Amino acid sequence: MTQMSTLDRLSRPASESAIEVRRLVKTFRTARRSPGVRGALRALIAPELESKTAVDDVSFSVATGELLALLGPNGAGKSTTIKVLTGILTPTSGQATVAGVVPYRERERNARNIGAVFGQRTQLWWDLPARESFRILRDIYGVAPGDYKARMREFDELLELCSFWDTRVRHLSLGQRVRCDLAAALLHDPPVVVLDEPTIGMDVVAKEQVRELLRHQVERRGRTVLLTTHDMTEVERLAERVVLINHGRIVLDGTLTEMRERFGRGWRVHVTLTGPDERPCPPGLTVLERDGARLVLGPTGGADAVPTHQALKRIIERYEVMDIRVEESDLEDVMRAAYRDARQESPA
Amino acid sequence: MTILAVPSGWRTGAITAVTEWHSPSRMTAAGLRLAVHLFLVVCLWHALYAGTTVSAGLTEAQAVTYAVLAVLIVRPRANDRYSARDTVIQHINFGTIVYWFLRPLPARRYYFFRAAGDQVYGLAWALAGYLVCLAAGVLDPPPSAGAALAFAATFALGQAVTYYLLLLTDQLCFWTIKNSSAVDIMMFTQNLLSGAYAALWFFPGWFQALSAALPFQATINVPLSFYVGRLPLSELPGQLALQGFWVLLLAALTRFLWTRAAGRVVAQGG
Amino acid sequence: MRGFLPAWALALRVVGLTFRAQLEYRGEFWMRVALGLAWQTSIIVFATVLLGRFPGMGGWSSDAVLMIAAVRMLGHAFYEVFFGRVGELAVLVQEGRFDAFLLRPLPVYRQVQLSAFPSNALGDLLVGGSLFAWAVWSIELEWAPWQIAYIVAALVGGMLVEAAVFTALSSLHLHFPSAITWSYWTEELMTTFGNYPLKILPGVISGAFTFVVPLAFVAYFPVAVLTGNTAGLGVPVAVAAAAPLIGLAAFAGSRVLWNWSLTRYTGVNG
Repeated sequence: MTQMSTLDRLSRPASESAIEVRRLVKTFRTARRSPGVRGALRALIAPELESKTAVDDVSFSVATGELLALLGPNGAGKSTTIKVLTGILTPTSGQATVAGVVPYRERERNARNIGAVFGQRTQLWWDLPARESFRILRDIYGVAPGDYKARMREFDELLELCSFWDTRVRHLSLGQRVRCDLAAALLHDPPVVVLDEPTIGMDVVAKEQVRELLRHQVERRGRTVLLTTHDMTEVERLAERVVLINHGRIVLDGTLTEMRERFGRGWRVHVTLTGPDERPCPPGLTVLERDGARLVLGPTGGADAVPTHQALKRIIERYEVMDIRVEESDLEDVMRAAYRDARQESPA
Repeated sequence: MTILAVPSGWRTGAITAVTEWHSPSRMTAAGLRLAVHLFLVVCLWHALYAGTTVSAGLTEAQAVTYAVLAVLIVRPRANDRYSARDTVIQHINFGTIVYWFLRPLPARRYYFFRAAGDQVYGLAWALAGYLVCLAAGVLDPPPSAGAALAFAATFALGQAVTYYLLLLTDQLCFWTIKNSSAVDIMMFTQNLLSGAYAALWFFPGWFQALSAALPFQATINVPLSFYVGRLPLSELPGQLALQGFWVLLLAALTRFLWTRAAGRVVAQGG
Repeated sequence: MRGFLPAWALALRVVGLTFRAQLEYRGEFWMRVALGLAWQTSIIVFATVLLGRFPGMGGWSSDAVLMIAAVRMLGHAFYEVFFGRVGELAVLVQEGRFDAFLLRPLPVYRQVQLSAFPSNALGDLLVGGSLFAWAVWSIELEWAPWQIAYIVAALVGGMLVEAAVFTALSSLHLHFPSAITWSYWTEELMTTFGNYPLKILPGVISGAFTFVVPLAFVAYFPVAVLTGNTAGLGVPVAVAAAAPLIGLAAFAGSRVLWNWSLTRYTGVNG
């Protein structure tokens, strides 16, 4: 099914998608270090090279005005993919286009089309007020004075920058600094925005503000956003579509619902009975845990064998129920299952 | 592109000056250190010449003038890129170097604007210090118009050599991730062999032969020797040719290293 | 919390670990050693050049002047071995490593000293040791037991004076990262002016080097007492002779200042 949807997306005309990645492969060659003096000498003269495939045959596309979350455990190949899309890295094989430009062939043209924020790394000048950094970037990107003013006003409205943008960057809080970094990345009005864990380490309020800005950028400005994050709340709030990547390969490309269906373990029903009850469990259900009058029941077989409302009906008909509660697996559980599943599919 | 390059370069080049302007305490401290250092150096050289009139072909006045000029040229250059987290090694360690390669301005041109801005800022300090010292009679003007012109020409080329040597040390950071020993060694060699600590004339013959084969003396010893009249004007064409040779060689080498450096950016950090 | 011996056994184990960590980057390790060597050699070249060019400094014999340089440099090497990390404390603060020290049940100052293996000090030791051997060999002293004991005390005292100066400066690093430039500058001053009889400089300067930056106590005073060059020291001979004790007192004072500064540490990373 995932295979299908990927193929389906690939067959779309390229003009519709802002980011297009086809059969991307990136292999790094690193020198292997052997222990001891002999090993060190050998590493100096004739280093033993070993190659590591960071991205292995990855294909996906992001439509214009779409927000896509690129998910995966640490070291899955997300950052390598992003570096190819920003033009820093040339792929070993395969190809990528961003807004019609091949980033690693025309790095500078691509740079005008993208804005990027890399988590805790700031591109602002540490000892200058944030607004000075904006001015420097305005000149580097050649933004017209009128546009610059209008955009600064807009960012100020959305991110409340004016209370601290005359403060030197070293004195900003993390939340304030990342907000300034977002403004800096969007200053030249790029159609495509790449964000690598933008809200890492931020407090709830600041996170919400950043998410609000991203939603605004996608919905009102029609920007294309590629986001990596480990924050599942963020994924739930922002992304309709996710690409799950592990060991350099795509595990899933689809909607959040699709991911839940594939990796979610379905529902569980927690029941408290009026008293101990040894009657067998209703058909289609199985007792997962039993602790006196308390039971946890789940479906037998596949997750969709019995719909939840049916299960509830059967339980109430069978037992004397005092309390009943349905639990559906949350996104973190789904992700955990997905990462584990992917590990089993392709052992490292 | 070229039209855009001018304003973007201007603002980028001004970063150092603007940063310093925003921290007046740092500027005052830098001025204070420079003044104290000049005073100490002047006292030291006068004291050394207490029992001597001419040493290594330099009179007391020539030696003092040389030492003061060397301090004026070298000291303001050590402005505070470090605490502003804006040295190349810090950008590499913090991973922020990646942004240099994400902008429509090529990293090497951004570097040039930044470094040239630094040098101009340092020279502004040097010029101000020079005028004060000249007015106070601490140093002498050049002995002739010819010496002044020879100084100007060799100093300009010397600044180009300085730029490339500093660039080279910064480029080394792309290969020595762990710490900055290589940079320290380069800085140090630069100061010793350029004649910043003492005019190379005072050193033994083998040392002068060594430094003649290296680019460092082109940055300070050569222009200052013309300024104080220790090098005759007849030496000018030869020295200019040598400086030009170093500029071309270093330009080619650093250009080549930039292309390799871009490939190193990806190796660090996730 | 622990006994004295276990605490130092732990310190030694940490030193072993930092040494192994540095060996991971062998190129860097040797470069740091080379840097120490190059730096000290250049000071020797510089000092001997000046000694050769300008003999009879302040009425001192060349051998006695060489002894000043030797004591200062070997003392400096000891300082680099045991206390050198305070000179760049701002780096540890800026990288956030310092904050981690505050979480561990060990004295913070000791952790700062244990944070890196002093590989550059190996070069310092080698050159300082050779120069010291040369100075001892060439100077005409009878080397009575008190003289031997006194020169050992002077070396330890020189180390402590330097440690006191840079510990005091580093208590500023805890609050202002740009204070590192003051440390660099002070080190430059000490290497430039520490190798001569300070009496050749005007009274204001030799006074400043006695009472503000106590450079005179590092080598000049003890060597003056040892060689009998006690005319014009600017302080009573007894004070000059007490240099090792004054070094100890200064270091203790600087540690009190440092601990006080630590209690007011708020972090600079915002």
